Amino acid sequence: MHLIFGGAYQGKLDYAKERYQLGEEDIFFCSAGETGEGCPSGPQIDLNKKAVARLEDFVLCCVRSGVEAADYLEERREEWSNTIFLCTDISAGIVPFEKELRAWREMVGRTLTYLGKEAKEVTRVFCGLPQKIK
Amino acid sequence: MNIFISGGCKNGKSYYAQHLAKKQALDNAPLYYIATMEPADEEDQARILRHQQERDGWGFTTLEKSSAIGDLHADFSGSFLLDSVTALLSNEMFRKDGTVDRTAHLRIAEELEQLADQSGNIVFVSDYIYSDAMKYEELTELYRKGLAWIDRALARKCDAVIEVSYGNIQLLKGDILR
Repeated sequence: MHLIFGGAYQGKLDYAKERYQLGEEDIFFCSAGETGEGCPSGPQIDLNKKAVARLEDFVLCCVRSGVEAADYLEERREEWSNTIFLCTDISAGIVPFEKELRAWREMVGRTLTYLGKEAKEVTRVFCGLPQKIK
Repeated sequence: MNIFISGGCKNGKSYYAQHLAKKQALDNAPLYYIATMEPADEEDQARILRHQQERDGWGFTTLEKSSAIGDLHADFSGSFLLDSVTALLSNEMFRKDGTVDRTAHLRIAEELEQLADQSGNIVFVSDYIYSDAMKYEELTELYRKGLAWIDRALARKCDAVIEVSYGNIQLLKGDILR
């Protein structure tokens, strides 16, 4: 498993596409549902895809559904041993005023700590440049 | 050498950038500071004054250029410091007449790449504003996306890319003498 993280718009997806020769059909894009409406479909990830992008939106859906994202992943750990996870790092800004966003920020932190420990490789993308973390 | 520097707020980017620009200046060639901020209020005036005082004695010639950066008149054998890309985009995107230029980032990226070609000796300073846990409204996202576009273009273009974290220097590309 390869965890790729970085700030918004830094080129995480471009990096993953180029490095692993991925097409759009190889990537699952997570969805967070709508603010105020929760995430009615519940947290969903298609682990048959090579890559899972916008993991932060999956986590936001988990927050809205009362599920701990790391628990969801732990239950399916055999299914993602070769998956590429892409997640926006939302940990280094202002603490949000809104309760839901505060919970989101913390759950993304816990989830990435869990995945970072499990990953064979961890890469941070900064202004389009990959930085090897693990 | 063309150098791109980014990092969080109040991390020591400007000071380090000044140091690099000064080191790149040859004897008898000018050392330029391209000032991009358009003061909007007293707080900005105070910030500008503080930066000016910090630069005192370094030998910088200040060029005021808060927009149309492609139209810079200078001696290109000199060493340049542009601080900051962030202010430049905000001046050009959110215009004084209240209109929004949604494609300003495309133009600015091109102009800055040309500037790097012209001088070959410029330090760009930007701000890393991409790790907020916020769902911003459309214009703020447009601005963040635009700045990331310019940052990535400059990171590709420049010989060295540096992240400054609380005074610590991380080299992501190239080689520089500390």
